Amino acid sequence: MQAIGRKLFPYLAAILLLLAAYFAVAGERRAPADFTFVNGTEIKSIDPAISTGQPEGRIIRALFEGLVNWDPRDLSSTPGVAARWEMSEDSRRITFHLRDDALWSDGTPVTADDFVYSYRRLLDPLTAAQYAYQLYYVVGAEKYNRGQVAVGDRVEIERFDPPSGAPPHARGELLRGTLLEYAEAFVDDPAAGKTELSDDEQRERLRRRVRMYTIEIDGEARRFKTGVAAFRDEPEFDAYEPVKQVLVDFDTVGIRAPDDRTLIFELNNPAPYFVSLTGFYPLYPVHRETVERFGSPDWMRPENLVGNGPYRLEERAFRDYIRLAKSETYWNAENVKLDVIDALAVESNVTALNMYENRQVDWTPVVPTVILPELKKQDRDDLRVAPYLTITYFRFNVTRSPLTDARVRRALSLAIDRPEIVDKIMRGGRTAATSFVPIGIEGYESPDCCQHDPEEARRLLAKAGFPGGKGMRKLTLLHNASEDAEKLCQAVQFQWHDTLGVEVELVRQEWGTYQEKVRNLEYDVAIAGWIGDYVDPNTFLDMFVTGGGNNNTGWSHAEFDAIIKERAPRERDPEKRLALMRQAEEILLAEMPVVPLYFPERNYLVRTYVKGLHNNILDVHPLHDLWIDEAERERQTAPRRKR
Amino acid sequence: MIAFLLRRFMWFVITVWAVQSLSFFLVRLAPGGPFTQERNVPLHVELAQRAKLNLDVPLYEQYFGYFGKLFRFDLGISDRQPDFTVNEIIAAGFPVSASLGVLALLFAVALGLAAGIVSAVFRGRGWDVSIMAAATLGIAVPSFVVASVVIILFVFVWPLFPAAGWGEPANLVLPAFCLGAPYAAYIARLSRTGMLEVLSQDYIRTAYAKGLSTRAVVLRHALRGALLPVFSFLGPAVAGILTGSLVIEKIFAIPGLGVHLLNAALQRDFTLMLGMVLVYTTVLYSMNTLVDLSYRILDPRVELT
Amino acid sequence: MNRTTGNRTKGEHELERYAALWEEARAIRGTSLGRDAWRRLRRQRAAMASLVALCVVTVLALITPLLPLQPPRRVDSDRIFMPPTFSRPAALDLDKLDADFGRKDLDLVSRALLDARLALFGGWSLPSICGTDELGRDLFSRLFWGARVSLAVGVVATLVSLVIGVSYGATAGYLGGRIDNFMMRLVDILYSVPFICVVILLVSILSEDSIRTWLESWHIDRITIFYLVVGAIYWLTMSRVVRGQIISLKNEQFVEAARTIGASQRRIIFFHLVPNVLSVVIVYLTLTIPSVMLFEAFLSFLGLGVQAPDVSWGLLVNQGFNVITPIKIYWWLVVFPGLALALTLYALNFLGDGLRDALDPRLKNR
Repeated sequence: MQAIGRKLFPYLAAILLLLAAYFAVAGERRAPADFTFVNGTEIKSIDPAISTGQPEGRIIRALFEGLVNWDPRDLSSTPGVAARWEMSEDSRRITFHLRDDALWSDGTPVTADDFVYSYRRLLDPLTAAQYAYQLYYVVGAEKYNRGQVAVGDRVEIERFDPPSGAPPHARGELLRGTLLEYAEAFVDDPAAGKTELSDDEQRERLRRRVRMYTIEIDGEARRFKTGVAAFRDEPEFDAYEPVKQVLVDFDTVGIRAPDDRTLIFELNNPAPYFVSLTGFYPLYPVHRETVERFGSPDWMRPENLVGNGPYRLEERAFRDYIRLAKSETYWNAENVKLDVIDALAVESNVTALNMYENRQVDWTPVVPTVILPELKKQDRDDLRVAPYLTITYFRFNVTRSPLTDARVRRALSLAIDRPEIVDKIMRGGRTAATSFVPIGIEGYESPDCCQHDPEEARRLLAKAGFPGGKGMRKLTLLHNASEDAEKLCQAVQFQWHDTLGVEVELVRQEWGTYQEKVRNLEYDVAIAGWIGDYVDPNTFLDMFVTGGGNNNTGWSHAEFDAIIKERAPRERDPEKRLALMRQAEEILLAEMPVVPLYFPERNYLVRTYVKGLHNNILDVHPLHDLWIDEAERERQTAPRRKR
Repeated sequence: MIAFLLRRFMWFVITVWAVQSLSFFLVRLAPGGPFTQERNVPLHVELAQRAKLNLDVPLYEQYFGYFGKLFRFDLGISDRQPDFTVNEIIAAGFPVSASLGVLALLFAVALGLAAGIVSAVFRGRGWDVSIMAAATLGIAVPSFVVASVVIILFVFVWPLFPAAGWGEPANLVLPAFCLGAPYAAYIARLSRTGMLEVLSQDYIRTAYAKGLSTRAVVLRHALRGALLPVFSFLGPAVAGILTGSLVIEKIFAIPGLGVHLLNAALQRDFTLMLGMVLVYTTVLYSMNTLVDLSYRILDPRVELT
Repeated sequence: MNRTTGNRTKGEHELERYAALWEEARAIRGTSLGRDAWRRLRRQRAAMASLVALCVVTVLALITPLLPLQPPRRVDSDRIFMPPTFSRPAALDLDKLDADFGRKDLDLVSRALLDARLALFGGWSLPSICGTDELGRDLFSRLFWGARVSLAVGVVATLVSLVIGVSYGATAGYLGGRIDNFMMRLVDILYSVPFICVVILLVSILSEDSIRTWLESWHIDRITIFYLVVGAIYWLTMSRVVRGQIISLKNEQFVEAARTIGASQRRIIFFHLVPNVLSVVIVYLTLTIPSVMLFEAFLSFLGLGVQAPDVSWGLLVNQGFNVITPIKIYWWLVVFPGLALALTLYALNFLGDGLRDALDPRLKNR
């Protein structure tokens, strides 16, 4: 037996290997798409409620449509599902009138109820949507999303299981009543007796919280409790029925659908840009029946997904490509020119460039910065340079000396030669920052800052007690592992040493650790970036209110808070409001908890035969606006035989 | 034989348990988590996200819960890519990485063996020196440098292959070459050494004395000796290809599993990382067992332990 | 004496013969394995050339601060992406030595060398014969400073793996039986761990502030952590190799002799057995150093390796990767670091091969 095995073995092995090789090579080839582009790395999710990035945005905008669309030229609001809208006199109520011919891809009409459902889902604390706060302009939304209740409120109680007869992934059975009593208890409270809690301790404490509600339903007082699984079964709370969550009744939130075609929002403060905000993709609707029938993640599979956008999801190969096909049910289908679009997931910038140069893709939004100057020199007509509403800056940890002193911070800022960095080190692709809010917001003019003044810098530093940098400890400059971040930080490290004699140690961390350290204020100086979510200075300034989730500097300023949180939102006159914003930015730039560095541009390569792709400062390029000039494409590809 | 396989399986289970446990705790020790984002989320949202990912129950519950699901072959939903379960991600990426790896290995073994044998037979002469020089070059230059050079040459200078992507046979050639090149080099050296040892044996001299041609001697008698060291190298080679594929897959935009080894750890995607560790362990273990088995078949003097 | 032939007395013949024998006997030297091996090694030209080359590289790396090179850290925005040239660079700015050379971080010897260089050459430095990178830094100089780090990583990490691997393998091999079984099973299990994940997680865990400050109080900085982590990956194979050797040696007579005179187990293992496996270990060392250096390049590609402003060959090769595009190829940024790395690895491999041939008793008479 063994002898035979031995004889046959080499042949067996060879056959096995050849089989494996055959399977490797035998794959299905798919027909080429009308338009192929690189969509960054694999998107996190198609669910509008939980996505946050730009690659996700491109796909979601193709599959779904919101109340309004953004015109790609100037980002003004154009009708989407909503045909028209009105604002009330005091700008606090907005009424949208939905069009009659908006359909889901299964043929059913898009109704106002779909939007109410989707917005509730976005605000549901258990969805854990990052962009839920965008809806905080709406009355009652923040309270709902934070799960806050007060005695006397009308509340809704969500049980664990859906009511009988409901689809499997529908919401739990709902009861409604009025809150009579509310109490919290912490099981094995880890923070007992402590006054100041660290973030971790807070989290741990909240984990062990059991909330007890006494609610009157139909005249009867009933008891309910919510809390993390492990603590719900504590015997002291036996008398309370465990439920999934208790929130204020969603009826108290200012979103109403009086009929199928009308949607009304009640806002806390006049917010003229709220209409524009409904074009931001987390606020897109999802199809209720599909979500409730299949649940996550199955409802997003190509065979199940129902959307109301210009395209439908044809295929999705993880980390490979997403194929979109034109939707016949879209109300504006006749103006959608491209039938099949492929979005490729590519990890490396260099690879994206190679694919573009090799004519495998028609558009790549990522260009390796090293090559950019060379590309510009070549004066290519397929290179687009677009301003972008984004800033790269440094954060200071103002809780650590010597950065507690604003003079030190200002000195450090004045010592940076931004034009040199932008032109010579980063080799273009950016504009030196002259403010914190980037240029490009119409009607808004930022105060000036950030000149290069080494003399003044040295003077300030000396006044702060560190003449020539003596006596100042070594600062750590934290950055993540990107080539640009490294180049920038090395250049600044050099400049600070050169001009001020300040020593800096560069600390590169991989991304997860870097985020943690910034959050926990475990750094001296850290590189940072921010992209505007919508076209208004608020998206840049409201980060820095006291205790803001994205503040991470330890900076706190009462007047700044007052403007951003109270005065500006209440100001109805847009010009006056922007003037208030400018005041806030002035405070920010005088105190300098952050050092603006530069505003990166958006550079991308797109073939000249692709039309409809316009530059705008939010870099939003809806796919349904694109079309291809076939004649031009023929001309460009004919001389070079396609592989 | 049965006893051998059973014993191996038992150790496999133990190894998987040990390695998964180690990874389980290690990834939770590292700073950050699956919900660490560019933008900070308010505490209440983060808590909800934790609850969604089942991270709000005590650690031991998470641990046993994980192994309970593992027993049922359920690796959970990816923390960072909630549209997919880990099983799906692995099912999508494994065939891709496997075919790439098999091809690379095939190329490496074929080229390496041939080069090594020729080198041994012509020892000390021109062929030997040049082959060994090329082999050392293959080992000394990092794969991403080889890849970029190869791309420039065979995609742009001579437009023969696509620059990146997956789906057609042409997509396989360059990546398989870049991935397999260093291993071809190693195998060339190993088979050369093994061959040289065998060629100095007495029975080879006998064969020559009997009048057999060089070719007959090499192929029929000496080959086994050259194969043995190559086989024992296959274990580490597979491990190397699994890891090395992450560089190649990144450069050629191939939707394989390699990238997840890196990204899952970097992004603290707990479920995906543990899934990847499981795949890695399983593939490595199976490969080693197969190699041991084939040892037995190739050289009957070897005892299976 | 009579000169007539044949008339020499028998005694004189004998005397001559004895004298000749005596000379011969005196010329014979006892030889040890080491000297034997050295003689064999000397005959292999490739290995000797490699040894010489490696010694030269090491010496150059050690005296780098003394050489009249441009500052490796100076960012000069006017000299970005310059191809290899003989044009004279700017003179050294004596006030900026810290920023330009990282003088404060150097050890005393290097600092002394740097001072000596300034005394000897003043502000003059060699032109950029290897071109400059994207920040205008001279590549030739960075190659030398990078050699220090790369060779250090290679040697230190390998030594770390040596220490751990030899102790572990020797102990397991000598003790045998169940302990050996258990220890080797442990090695098998550790082998199954994908080390990339472990490296990433370990490095980030060890970078946490509290742990970092604790480590720094022991003078263990980031790069030392790096050595330790890399060494902790490579010891596995070493332990297996050593264990195999020990097993075949432990039944030899000299071990029994040592035991009969009462040597403790530890002494037997480390004083008697280990020196005998040294030949295998040395060969393995010279073949591990290249792996470690390549691993460092690999980690740099992933962004986990040596950090700025330190420079290593891996980092340089990695930066070179980014500049090979179909638009423009800054070839010098890849070719020179690649060559440096490749030639060093070449030399190490040849040396390792030569050592293996020289030290392997079975290859006698070849």
